[in-house]
Amino acid sequence: MSAETSKKPAKVGMIETFLSGAKKGWGIAINTIMPAMVLGYVLVQVFNVTGVMDVLGNICGPIMGVFGLPGEAITVLISAFFAKAAGAATAFNLYQTGVITAAQATICVMPSMLMGTLVGHYARIVLVTETNKKYTLLMFLIPLFDAALGMILMRLILTAMGLM
Amino acid sequence: MAVETVQNEKEKIKVSPQGWLALVIMLCMFSGFFANMEGPLQFLRVLDLNTLIGSFGTIGDTGANFMGSGGAGARDGFMFALSLAPGCIFSMGLIEVFSKMGVMEAFQKVFTPILRPLLGLPGSCGLAFVNSLNGSDIAAVLTKELYDNGQITDDERTIFVSFMYPGSAPIGNMISTQAAVLPIAVMAMGPMILLVIFCKLVGANIVRLIVMRGKKKNAEVAK
Repeated sequence: MSAETSKKPAKVGMIETFLSGAKKGWGIAINTIMPAMVLGYVLVQVFNVTGVMDVLGNICGPIMGVFGLPGEAITVLISAFFAKAAGAATAFNLYQTGVITAAQATICVMPSMLMGTLVGHYARIVLVTETNKKYTLLMFLIPLFDAALGMILMRLILTAMGLM
Repeated sequence: MAVETVQNEKEKIKVSPQGWLALVIMLCMFSGFFANMEGPLQFLRVLDLNTLIGSFGTIGDTGANFMGSGGAGARDGFMFALSLAPGCIFSMGLIEVFSKMGVMEAFQKVFTPILRPLLGLPGSCGLAFVNSLNGSDIAAVLTKELYDNGQITDDERTIFVSFMYPGSAPIGNMISTQAAVLPIAVMAMGPMILLVIFCKLVGANIVRLIVMRGKKKNAEVAK
């Protein structure tokens, strides 16, 4: 890939390079992040209006407690599953409404990243690379494991730093 | 991509001085190291990404920016996404410039020799590995090509994919998708990216163990 780009005949200046990247950034913000944000915020609204949020909070309290999070934070994991940005949006929403602290929102970054956009990226990565089908289940479990590990490590680090 | 070109890339990865400079600047910006510089070295805050992204003005004495406060649902999500656009636009422009300066080659130079101990993968995976840090699609196609060209085995591909798939594109996705939480996060972006990569490595090494065990079993059955 790098060989192809370096062979480009016309010289492209730094300004043009920056602008073309910035244009991509606008595309990501509007086409990728915005739909995910709308999804995340609507999910939270649905959970709030129906009262599911309180139920989830009570049921998932003990599990999420392992990661230093309140039960309501399970909604971050649910929306992250659909899209990484939706996980982040949900975490920020919970922070705004005072359900989680800034440190807890930082913990939420780990699952939002590590188990984020699982379905979409299954096609884009696992299927594109034609990974051996016998490991399909393993491929789905590893992100969940990574996310749990990430949350625990982040909790330990933040606790050690005295931020929690 | 032909087998030869991949091998060439493996043997001589050339990193320009610009590439190393880009790597250093990028690390400074993402580390958040200069975020709170004070006194005579205050000007160094120019090396902090969040300082450059800046902040929105507030409306009246409410302390709230154009998003206001108390919003909910899709409309609030829309406004919030809009407020993230400037940071996303700037960061992506910056990364494009760093890439042009050769930051990917610098990363590749650093990572290629340690792929074997880290993931049990040959150095020829270097380019795909580095690409996977900032995007999903190119790395996925490169990995498929590595297998098709016989440079990695089926098991190595499985291990590699188990590294790429969780938390895909940690650098690019941390900047763009996590933009909502970054301003309030109590940890800078750089360390968080490192932690994500560390977890990815641990997960991939578990797959590495599982795959190795399967291999042993198969060998025993064959005997």
